[in-house]
Amino acid sequence: MSVEALEHGLVGRANESGWLARGGLLRRLARDRVAALAASALTAIVLAAVFAPWIAPYDPYFTDLTKSMQAPSGEHWFGTDNTGRDILSRILFGTRNTLVLGLVGVIVGGAIGGALGIFAAYYRRLGGWIMRLVDIMLAFPAILIGLAMAAIFGAGLSAVIIALVIATVPDVARVARGAAVGVMGQEFMEAGRAVGVSDSALIWRYLTLNCISTIFVFLTLRFGQIILIGSVLGFLGMGAQPPTAELGMMAAQGRDFLFMAPHIATIPSCAIFVIVLCANLLGDAFRDVLDPRLQT
Amino acid sequence: MIRILLTAALALTVSAPASAQTTLMLMKGIDAPHYDGHRTTWGPTSDIVNMFQDTLVALDWDGKTPIPYLAKSWDISEDGKIYTFKLRDDVSFCSGKKFTAEDVIYSFRRLKDPAVKAPYAWRAGHIKELRAPDPYTVQYELEEPFSELLLQLTMFTNAIHNKDSVEALGKDYGIKGIDGTGPWCFDSWTPRTEIVLKRHDAYKWGPSLYKNKGPVKFEKLVVKIVPEDSSRVAAMLSGQFDITHQFPAQFISQAKAAPMLAVTPAKPNFQLLYFGFKITRPMVEDRRVREAMSIAINRAEIAKAILLGNAEPALTIVDKDALDHAPATQGVVKEDVERAKALLDEAGWKPGSDGIREKDGVKLQPRVYYTANGNSARVAEAIQGYLRKIGVDWRLYPWDSTIASVKMAEQDYEIWSVTVPYLSAGDLMNIYFDSANIPTPNRMNWKDAETDTWLKEGRSALTESDRTKAYALVQEKVMREHLWIPVLNINMDQVANKRINSARPHMLYQNTFYKGLDVTR
Repeated sequence: MSVEALEHGLVGRANESGWLARGGLLRRLARDRVAALAASALTAIVLAAVFAPWIAPYDPYFTDLTKSMQAPSGEHWFGTDNTGRDILSRILFGTRNTLVLGLVGVIVGGAIGGALGIFAAYYRRLGGWIMRLVDIMLAFPAILIGLAMAAIFGAGLSAVIIALVIATVPDVARVARGAAVGVMGQEFMEAGRAVGVSDSALIWRYLTLNCISTIFVFLTLRFGQIILIGSVLGFLGMGAQPPTAELGMMAAQGRDFLFMAPHIATIPSCAIFVIVLCANLLGDAFRDVLDPRLQT
Repeated sequence: MIRILLTAALALTVSAPASAQTTLMLMKGIDAPHYDGHRTTWGPTSDIVNMFQDTLVALDWDGKTPIPYLAKSWDISEDGKIYTFKLRDDVSFCSGKKFTAEDVIYSFRRLKDPAVKAPYAWRAGHIKELRAPDPYTVQYELEEPFSELLLQLTMFTNAIHNKDSVEALGKDYGIKGIDGTGPWCFDSWTPRTEIVLKRHDAYKWGPSLYKNKGPVKFEKLVVKIVPEDSSRVAAMLSGQFDITHQFPAQFISQAKAAPMLAVTPAKPNFQLLYFGFKITRPMVEDRRVREAMSIAINRAEIAKAILLGNAEPALTIVDKDALDHAPATQGVVKEDVERAKALLDEAGWKPGSDGIREKDGVKLQPRVYYTANGNSARVAEAIQGYLRKIGVDWRLYPWDSTIASVKMAEQDYEIWSVTVPYLSAGDLMNIYFDSANIPTPNRMNWKDAETDTWLKEGRSALTESDRTKAYALVQEKVMREHLWIPVLNINMDQVANKRINSARPHMLYQNTFYKGLDVTR
């Protein structure tokens, strides 16, 4: 039997309990009503954000001081802000930025953190150093990293993205390492080595593919949290700068007018709440479906 | 919401601890980088400095008349060059050291020391020599007459310092400690949190504008920094603080309606919110571009919608009621959006595919710096909205107050904004338009021989009409050049809890509390 054929068999066995073997994922998700509702809401939010330029009733940057702080009405469904901009239009564009922040934070942070965790598990000597670095990173709260990034690079979406990525990496690295250490003890890893499978193939095809479901579940749970951190940094003025719409920043702008026009702060805050709630519910549902320990 | 806060206020008032009776609680929105008045132009430094340090002369309530303070009297030579100050002999520093003419001489020498880099050194005039014929007499000789010297000597930057304190603290002077002869003594400073001052028990030399000559009626003065507008409102409504002069303009009507608060406007009050152009930057070197930005906005709308009526539109740099205002400047800024577009076209800035104007491949996106908290932030956003309509895309850079002055000093911007209080046309013109004040406070980097000559003539004028004429020429020139966008004259309201008495607001450089000698509970 050739190495390729043997490896093929090993990979097939290795992935049996992993990501690729999990057919019917959507069907199982659909059975969970709360998850289905959250997924539907999040899909609608994502679609609204993607198509914001076409469905927004007004230019989100157009100011009209003669119409400042108008309450919700037929003309402006969510009212106007202190410079007379249409809040609904800004919510649509703001959601776009907020989701991009969350996604970039999760995807890039997840990729880097996952790679670090898997490398740490595979290369034991290097792993010690990687995990100490991760421990150091864990010592810094995400908000503090965001503030530091804003101080170094200046406030803006890029500073927030860097902060979110840095905040995501250590947690993902720990989770990935934990999962990878478990896989490393499996027989197929020993067998792979015995038949001469290369390190890169072992890491990618054996280790990574078997850890990816764990990392994915963690990232779905983390997504809502990342959005919340991004919004907090926006609220603190470290994120998007005017006139860019971003939900956290919009909430911050409205807080000065809480007595006179509470809708300016509360509507973006509610939008953040809904997005984070949906993301968390969906993350829980993914965990339930993909975590074999929770299967009955 | 208001009812809930009022109920909370009542509860807090009833349960106020005994120590609260001896501590006066002030609240500000902005902290300062340090409290050494020589080394800054920063308004948030000045009000605290005025609490713990004194000047030779004080400014009366009318905002125009210098009155005796550490100097009990003075004579001026006929050529206007020699001022002889007779000092009080009963003054001492918080450290206990006796105040003498040597302290006056040391303070002004330090102010003029190039190593100190005092941005407001010019406020003391061109000093030729300082002499002390006896411990309580100072001869202050100038190179040339300075028509506003006495007015300028009321400023915090000309306060009297203690040499021993400066030398003992070194680089920590104004940070970890600082000595003064003021009614309050510097106790501690926690940046961005609070400044704590304690009563100067020996103080008894209050100026004539106060009934109480000292000491103050409280053992301690705590000045808390509360950057968040809504938090300052809630804190005042709940009775946590006694006085603030930084009550957000948008909530003034709520303060007036609140039964426990008293709102007192400072009068007179000249306080200009403006946006200045750094004219050495290519993007704004063309006068037409600057004028376009100035006339494309609607100041009345901004005053009404953004400041909620707590400001007046400013179409001139110097207010029409201020000393030496030039009436000829009143027609220079004419708001006209179509003309603004035409000026930009004429200057070669054509709309790009995204609507933003371009020239030689560069988009018209000037960087705009200002302090994050304060009126500039909201006004900048409103102006940004107006200017987008003519194809100008302001890139806004709000900075935290503790680093704003540092960032502005770097001058990596086309436009900046501050709100500046001033006493007169001469005061404002000399600060900002004299080439000797480049790079700061002359952040425009405006270097013009005529301006410098007229300013010099105004400063050295021996008659009122000569001074008025010279300062009018300066105003007309800088207005025609559109070096600034004057936007609003901001009202200055002091909000105090009604349990506090005699808290009359002063207008000097936004220092409404000033010495606070008459304040009682």
